[in-house]
Amino acid sequence: MAAPVRASLMITCLGDVFFPEVGVAMVRLLRGLGVEVDFPEGQTCCGLPLFNSGYHHDAALVAARTVELFERAEHVVVPSGSCAWMVKTEYPGLLKHDPARRAAAESLARRTRELSQFLVEVLGVTRLDARFEGKVTYHDSCHLLRGLGESAAPRALLRGVPGVELVELPGADQCCGFGGSFSVRLPEVSSAILDKKLASVEATGARCLVACDAGCLMQMGGGLSRRGSSVKAIHLAQVLAGEGPR
Amino acid sequence: MSEGLLRTTLPDRAGAALRDTFLQQALTIATTKFIDLRRESFEGFPQGEALRDRARAIKEATLQHLDVHLERLADNVERLGGTVHWAATAEEAREIVLRLARDRGVRMAVKSKSMATEEIDLNEALEHAGVTPVETDLGEYIIQLAHEKPSHIIAPAIHKTKGQVAELFSRELGGRFEADPEVLTAVARRALRQKFLEADMGITGANFAVADTGTVVLVTNEGNGRMVTSLPRIHVALMGIEKVIPSMSDLVVFLDILARSATGQKLSSYTTLVRGPRRAGELEGPEEFHLILLDNGRARQIASTLREALYCLRCGACLNVCPVYRQIGGHAYGYTYPGPIGILLTAMLKGNESVRELAHASSLCGACKDVCPVRIDIPRMLVELREHLDREKIAPWSERVVFHAFRRLLLSPAAFRLSARAGRWLQRPFVRAGRLRGLPLLLGRWTRTRDLPPVAARTFRELWKELR
Amino acid sequence: MAGRAEFLERIRREVAKTPGLFGASTAPRPPRPAAAAEAIRRELAERWPQALDRFRQEFERVAGVFHRVPDLAAVPDTIAAIARERGVRRLVTWDPAILGFDAGARLAADGCAVVAARAGQEDEASRLRHRADAAAAQLGVTGADLVLAETGTLILLSGAGRPRSTSLLPDVHVAVFGRDRLLESLEQVGVMLEDLHVDPDAAMSGAMINFITGPSRTADIELTLTRGVHGPKEVHAVFVEAP
Repeated sequence: MAAPVRASLMITCLGDVFFPEVGVAMVRLLRGLGVEVDFPEGQTCCGLPLFNSGYHHDAALVAARTVELFERAEHVVVPSGSCAWMVKTEYPGLLKHDPARRAAAESLARRTRELSQFLVEVLGVTRLDARFEGKVTYHDSCHLLRGLGESAAPRALLRGVPGVELVELPGADQCCGFGGSFSVRLPEVSSAILDKKLASVEATGARCLVACDAGCLMQMGGGLSRRGSSVKAIHLAQVLAGEGPR
Repeated sequence: MSEGLLRTTLPDRAGAALRDTFLQQALTIATTKFIDLRRESFEGFPQGEALRDRARAIKEATLQHLDVHLERLADNVERLGGTVHWAATAEEAREIVLRLARDRGVRMAVKSKSMATEEIDLNEALEHAGVTPVETDLGEYIIQLAHEKPSHIIAPAIHKTKGQVAELFSRELGGRFEADPEVLTAVARRALRQKFLEADMGITGANFAVADTGTVVLVTNEGNGRMVTSLPRIHVALMGIEKVIPSMSDLVVFLDILARSATGQKLSSYTTLVRGPRRAGELEGPEEFHLILLDNGRARQIASTLREALYCLRCGACLNVCPVYRQIGGHAYGYTYPGPIGILLTAMLKGNESVRELAHASSLCGACKDVCPVRIDIPRMLVELREHLDREKIAPWSERVVFHAFRRLLLSPAAFRLSARAGRWLQRPFVRAGRLRGLPLLLGRWTRTRDLPPVAARTFRELWKELR
Repeated sequence: MAGRAEFLERIRREVAKTPGLFGASTAPRPPRPAAAAEAIRRELAERWPQALDRFRQEFERVAGVFHRVPDLAAVPDTIAAIARERGVRRLVTWDPAILGFDAGARLAADGCAVVAARAGQEDEASRLRHRADAAAAQLGVTGADLVLAETGTLILLSGAGRPRSTSLLPDVHVAVFGRDRLLESLEQVGVMLEDLHVDPDAAMSGAMINFITGPSRTADIELTLTRGVHGPKEVHAVFVEAP
């Protein structure tokens, strides 16, 4: 019999502080699939906010720390396309001046996957035990879609949940307007972009809006809640773990 | 508006654009149309992806020997009887055109659409010198009459309603014209036909210039590019140095993808190859051909951050897909070139200080890179620009303090945990029905239009103790 | 030329600072363009019917009007028909020696005035007269030096007896061509252009090459497509079957 798959969670700063229920759902989901889950203490953030705003020296320090923290992880699973992208694409470059660190970053990049990619590529998941009633629609977060080239896995997983009726969101590939600090540097523009997105979402008649990125969920969830919409924004992990919206 | 830095702020200009309901409608309709046209065109074009790679490679390879190609181009143009001028700056370029106009007794010049001439503010300079510049591209003609700047690289008057155009034509040309695009096009055709026939000078840009043959290439749809290069006695072409390509074999690669990326057409209505002034056997064509090669900040980027931006074909595809451009339009960017590539070009032409706000006018979604015919990695360069703004201390002091504090937090798990606990406590007055509203200061910018989830009663780290 | 050396030197210096972003090459060029062009002509001599079909499809897609006639002698009648339908009274044409037919007599019979350009008449007076004629004409007749099937494009070389304005100023443009002009792809056009420019002054008597893909158009007003902004509102292509 094969040794169980061991996955270390990279929970992300937003996930840790604002969406712990997503982490909990992930743990439940992964354990249900026979995965041994651990959580390297001392993690904080992947450093993407620093990187995107141009604070590369600072981002490199955070990257070095993160690489070390996850040194012994067999697989690193991240409930966020943007954080997975940061680790996989940008870490090696940020640490290029230190050959040992750079090599460690490249190793981490290879072992790191966003959740849906981990489920499909490593575990070969096609169907899930969970149940979920109703229409859901899926938003492609920019870093997962364009950065990591992934649009199929989340949809396939959603379709693999009995009871889910997946409705395609028109303009699913269009940005929700979060963009990290962009959301507060140009809040009016960010909100106008969001309004367009939410109009599409509401037009689908879906009960839930699913995404794989905490940033997108904060932006879209924050907009839906402000409008008093009955649509709930939730993370893919929660649907796959059979948890309805709160 | 283009020389020097702006006095208005980006948030103000963006706000004005967001409140302009017609502009919002026009932008949605126009950009959606362009997106659909481009997508349909590439869907039926399986060799498109390989062509984009080839086009990108040609641009990169050309830059690696740019001086050689420019020299070859110049020699060939001169061999054909044309004159080549070398303009290191916008001012030099203006001077060259003005001097030519003065020496040749030019009173009226007809212009084909050229972003390079916008970049150097040529029209204003000509007018001051007593030369009348007449824009002949319909969109440019409209905004010239309206005393405005273009709001999109290839559809300059996208922000005007047909009613506004009818009113404008009626007022400026005398008459009463209905708000019908066919009628208005016919009005412009009549009005401008006379100008083409009477003008002393024709001024164009250049989409490409073929070094091997000394040929300047214009890609147009209206026919004004052909008029302007065949009817007046002098033709002046102003061209950024990055537009040179080595050979005709290179040219057809670009022709294969340019129109598709810009408007979804296989080829534009007219592709015009100009090889110097008219030849001895020709009844028509200019007696003189002048090619002005323009640097204006481009050469400096060959070995620098914005090198890739020199590949740009000026197709406008990145504008059409940009969530920010689609929301605020071209004028809000404030400079000659709008949209994602516009931010990079502005930094190139005017220095990093000019984009201290614009460098952040992007959610880094990457849609631009996806559609660029030469695969320019615009998001990467925007992030690098932001890095320069930090390194050169152009970013505001208050912002740098916040980010350095944030860094400390991220490097110390204890500090991180502490701030989560502090947040939980500080947020209490602002929690309503499980959501945060009405937050002060920076976060107030979020909560003005959106709720925030509160800091969780127990963070994941705290919950892990039970889960393990 | 004071600026040239300094200008190029600055670029040279910048170029020398960096190897570039990645290893890249420009497009491969035919080592012997004449032979390559000849090879393409031979291939098209076989495949011209398919190329013609494709051309027709693409030409009509960009609002071109396609005609097919058995031989050159039939062309003037076709032009007369178009002229009659459009209420045209004045025409300009390329030199009949280049076109291979003279439409003058046939159109005069319908009461139309035809001015044909003639190679060899390039004095100032002729220039002025020609400009007036072209500006007043409602229909222009040209040949087509290359015809690109892939995109429905007519490629015209300017020069002696083949003025630029014939296909530009009148409302209607009629281009006449035979099977030997057809090409399938832009890539082949690239080879032909390379061939034309090996000895350009020998191959071409003019300084301009125009690719014409349908009528003049714009969508600058509210993205509504209109035709005939500055150039012709209509383009006709007449294919002459006889080789």
